[in-house]
Amino acid sequence: MIHIKKFTYLPGEHELEAASNSYLMSLLAIIVGLPLPIVNLIATFIFYLGNRKSSYFVRWHCTQALLSQLSLLVMNSYAFWWTVSIFFEDQTITNNYIAYIIVAIVFNLIEFITTIYIAVNTRKGIHVEWWLYGTLTNLICKKRI
Amino acid sequence: MKKVIIQISLAVILFFALWFSLAQVNWVKIFDVEKNIDKTEQKLGNLFWKFFKNSEKENTNIQTTKTIDSIVNHLCNANKIDRKKIKVHILLKDEINAFALPNGHLIIYSGLVLNADSQEELAGVICHEIAHIELKHVMRKLIRETGISLLISITTGNGNLEVIKETAKLLSSAAFSRELEKEADMKAVDYLLNAKVNPAPFADFLYKLSEINPTIPEYLTWVSSHPESKERAKYVVEYSKQKDADYKTIISTKSWEELKNNLKE
Repeated sequence: MIHIKKFTYLPGEHELEAASNSYLMSLLAIIVGLPLPIVNLIATFIFYLGNRKSSYFVRWHCTQALLSQLSLLVMNSYAFWWTVSIFFEDQTITNNYIAYIIVAIVFNLIEFITTIYIAVNTRKGIHVEWWLYGTLTNLICKKRI
Repeated sequence: MKKVIIQISLAVILFFALWFSLAQVNWVKIFDVEKNIDKTEQKLGNLFWKFFKNSEKENTNIQTTKTIDSIVNHLCNANKIDRKKIKVHILLKDEINAFALPNGHLIIYSGLVLNADSQEELAGVICHEIAHIELKHVMRKLIRETGISLLISITTGNGNLEVIKETAKLLSSAAFSRELEKEADMKAVDYLLNAKVNPAPFADFLYKLSEINPTIPEYLTWVSSHPESKERAKYVVEYSKQKDADYKTIISTKSWEELKNNLKE
């Protein structure tokens, strides 16, 4: 699920703080923005934009945080609009719907716990790569020469 | 790149596999969803019926109640519909209207009975409303028009009188969607045929009312809330032509006349 790896260089104290904050930003936004799934993504995206010219380490972690929120957005938006259609239209509660909500809750919980774990470790200077998001980040985020 | 594609595919497969496996569990039964919806429907039905009972005058003539009951009993028995589920109420009002409320409440205005030329016409309208109940159209319409959140707030006692009044008005004078109306019409014809009642007068009734140019439109609520009556009359006739049956009357002509006389008084 997650891999602790050695980063290409040893980041400075201010970099560790900024990188860790990118995860905390999404967590805070989840708490503030519930149940609207878009809020956490917007918050993480704004933080990403603010740090896109930062050091490689900060950019790398901002990108990983953004990617993790992006996948949640798709899943949560579907759950959100499905729920809205039940409450305000004539859709009914089915086994499919309840199963989807359970899966969405499980994925959100895993994401939430992992985000806290990565935020804490990043602050300590440990470089943690998420399964899938880490691989994607390595593809997207390149070191500037 | 290959690694990313494999990981994305794995994540998607994991997600759908988990969703599919969990969907096999009967969560609706575990969480008693149906029971909770039924309870909500029951509360709403009683609430709306109470509203109409308090705002309109209810029929107290036992003979009238018995005659209408005979018609409804016959229609329900012939169609294997649980009679206890249909709660018929006759309200003394000039409006030509009949409508269904949640939880099987069926309201018939005296104006409708008095303007029906035959018992078959009345039976047709009753069948149409029973069809709305049986096909669960009433709750669907309520949820679509008001949203389940408002309905829950009404049943938990948080809805004020104005909200209840507006929602009750919606049930008594607003049409279902064209598709639901057609479904109820077809079902009504089936009910009539099963009960050996000629469906042609039901079509005539629709046609007749669509021809009337109402000077006081509120008296013709059933028609104004059921637009395209001519079109409906046509497809009711077409549909019933395809089925053959020996027709009978439900109540005697004398009882029918007595029913009208009692309501006139």
